[in-house]
Amino acid sequence: MAPANRPQRASRGLAPDRRAELLLGAPVCGVLLFVLALVVFVFREAWPSFARNGLSWFGSGGNPDRQIQAIFTSSDLLRAPVYTFHAWPIVWGTLLCTAGAVCLSFVAALFVAVFVVEFAPEWIRRTLEPVVRLLASVPSVIFGLLGVLVLVPFVGQHVITNGARRSVAYIVSLSGYSLLAGVVILSLMISPLMIAVFSDGLRAVPRGWLEGSLGLGINRWRTFWKIGVRTARPALVAGTVLATARALGETVMLAMVTGGVSFAPNPADGLIFFVEPTRPLAATILQTAEELSSSPMRHTIFAMAAVLLFSAALLSLAGWAAKQPMKQHGVRA
Amino acid sequence: MTTRTTTLLGVLTALAVLIAAPAASQAATVFGSGSSAEQPYFDALAAGYRKVDPHTKLVYNPDGGNAGAKDVQQGKSAFALQTRPPLPSDSGLSYAKLFLDGLCVAVNPANVLNNLAIGQVKDVFLGDVTEWQQVGSNLRSPISAFGRNSTAGLYTFFQSAVLGGATQATNVAQLDTDGEVAVAVSKNQAGIGYVGLANSGPGSGVKRLKLGGQPCQASAIKTLKYPLSRYGWIVLPARHPNQAATRFADWVRTSYAAGRIIAKAGGVPAFNATHPPKKAKKK
Repeated sequence: MAPANRPQRASRGLAPDRRAELLLGAPVCGVLLFVLALVVFVFREAWPSFARNGLSWFGSGGNPDRQIQAIFTSSDLLRAPVYTFHAWPIVWGTLLCTAGAVCLSFVAALFVAVFVVEFAPEWIRRTLEPVVRLLASVPSVIFGLLGVLVLVPFVGQHVITNGARRSVAYIVSLSGYSLLAGVVILSLMISPLMIAVFSDGLRAVPRGWLEGSLGLGINRWRTFWKIGVRTARPALVAGTVLATARALGETVMLAMVTGGVSFAPNPADGLIFFVEPTRPLAATILQTAEELSSSPMRHTIFAMAAVLLFSAALLSLAGWAAKQPMKQHGVRA
Repeated sequence: MTTRTTTLLGVLTALAVLIAAPAASQAATVFGSGSSAEQPYFDALAAGYRKVDPHTKLVYNPDGGNAGAKDVQQGKSAFALQTRPPLPSDSGLSYAKLFLDGLCVAVNPANVLNNLAIGQVKDVFLGDVTEWQQVGSNLRSPISAFGRNSTAGLYTFFQSAVLGGATQATNVAQLDTDGEVAVAVSKNQAGIGYVGLANSGPGSGVKRLKLGGQPCQASAIKTLKYPLSRYGWIVLPARHPNQAATRFADWVRTSYAAGRIIAKAGGVPAFNATHPPKKAKKK
């Protein structure tokens, strides 16, 4: 009688399904480990900056550009390391750029997606969809060049008046490099992503639901708005979360058009607020990355990176939480 | 021998050949880092040096002049290029002048202004003067000043040479590269910015200002009459410098060919031979 299930034969005799499971599972575990290692590494490098500043890291006080220079030069052999950093103008700039671009592009993308899915003639739809896809794949540096060569000079010459320039001349220079330029171009960059996800969500709405409403004599616009868009809400949330993450991490374009000054645009300045320069977190990391060799500067740069990483994680969590109550009747995305 | 084992052996042999081939070619790779403003000069000089010494491969990481000096201190780079003179913090490093360069102050061509005093430039970039009329220009608008971010080597030089060590004002837009400053000034009638010699030449769309009556040109830079003349430096470890890097530095400093390359790239040769070496007569 042959012994059943010999252990030395078991590995050779793996079923194809089991082998595929292991083969595909290994890279997935690798990715999870990589993400974990990334988070641990970033936060470990960032800790000295947070530890020395406490919550005042996120507060205001002083000029962050001067603080960055002091941190960088303190790594010279003859001085004690300096860590004082108050990042509020940079955090505020990031919030403004991201929120402005997401609000602007949400409205635009929703109308475009509704038009493409429900109202556009076939030939327009066939043209529009590849164009939107192409726009989504344009590298951000090209948008940056467009901003520097077209939008920034336009804002500088035609939007900002000399009176407005003079009113803040001793504090900040209004030259066209501004929050407005950053928000407008960032909207252009993230809208295609939103349109693509919104369109997929709207297309997945069961036709029967819409036809039922139309059959009751309700017009197309109201039917689509009340049933189509409401049903596709989880897809709208998913698209918005994706686009917000993209906006949050956008670096090169914002470094090129927002003015590179760590200044917090002040809503109390009235309309000038929109044309004041700023500099978001990712652009600040890019501009200071040359100085990674200085130890206190490296910890400060990683602290900014940790804030970005934490924001992205929080964003995904918020998106997931927002989708939960909508899932019952909505279209999954 | 099974097919699988044969394939495995084949792959290993191919890998061994791929790894061994570059090592056998006798090419020594020398790593350098430093100023991003010096990169155009380095690229041109490294290409020229390849003809002189084909066995040395020079690789350059433009991570900033200050960062480059630290790389050499920590042994990460064999040499660094730097735009500022040595500081007390540069212990264990030896600095050698390579060639001359100038930092120009440029305005939009629509501005009739041709000359400024260093003190006036300082007032503009410290935010004490904000109107063009205060410095004798035809423009009736506030000044839009453009500069580099506070961690750029060019900024460090500008800060010490013009601002007297003070920090530039918040009303100076801080851009990432020299080229971006030139574009910003060329697109803004009220613009003023500090730009390297190479990025403010004809075709850049900006007008170089004279400083204290001295033009930002090779002739005034060579004689050090132009106030913002500066040297490009090579930074080597004071002890046991890399021989290949030292040979490269000597060639850049002294050879006729390197002088021509520097002049072509927009710099001003300072110590290079002015005539090509005479060829040995054939007997």
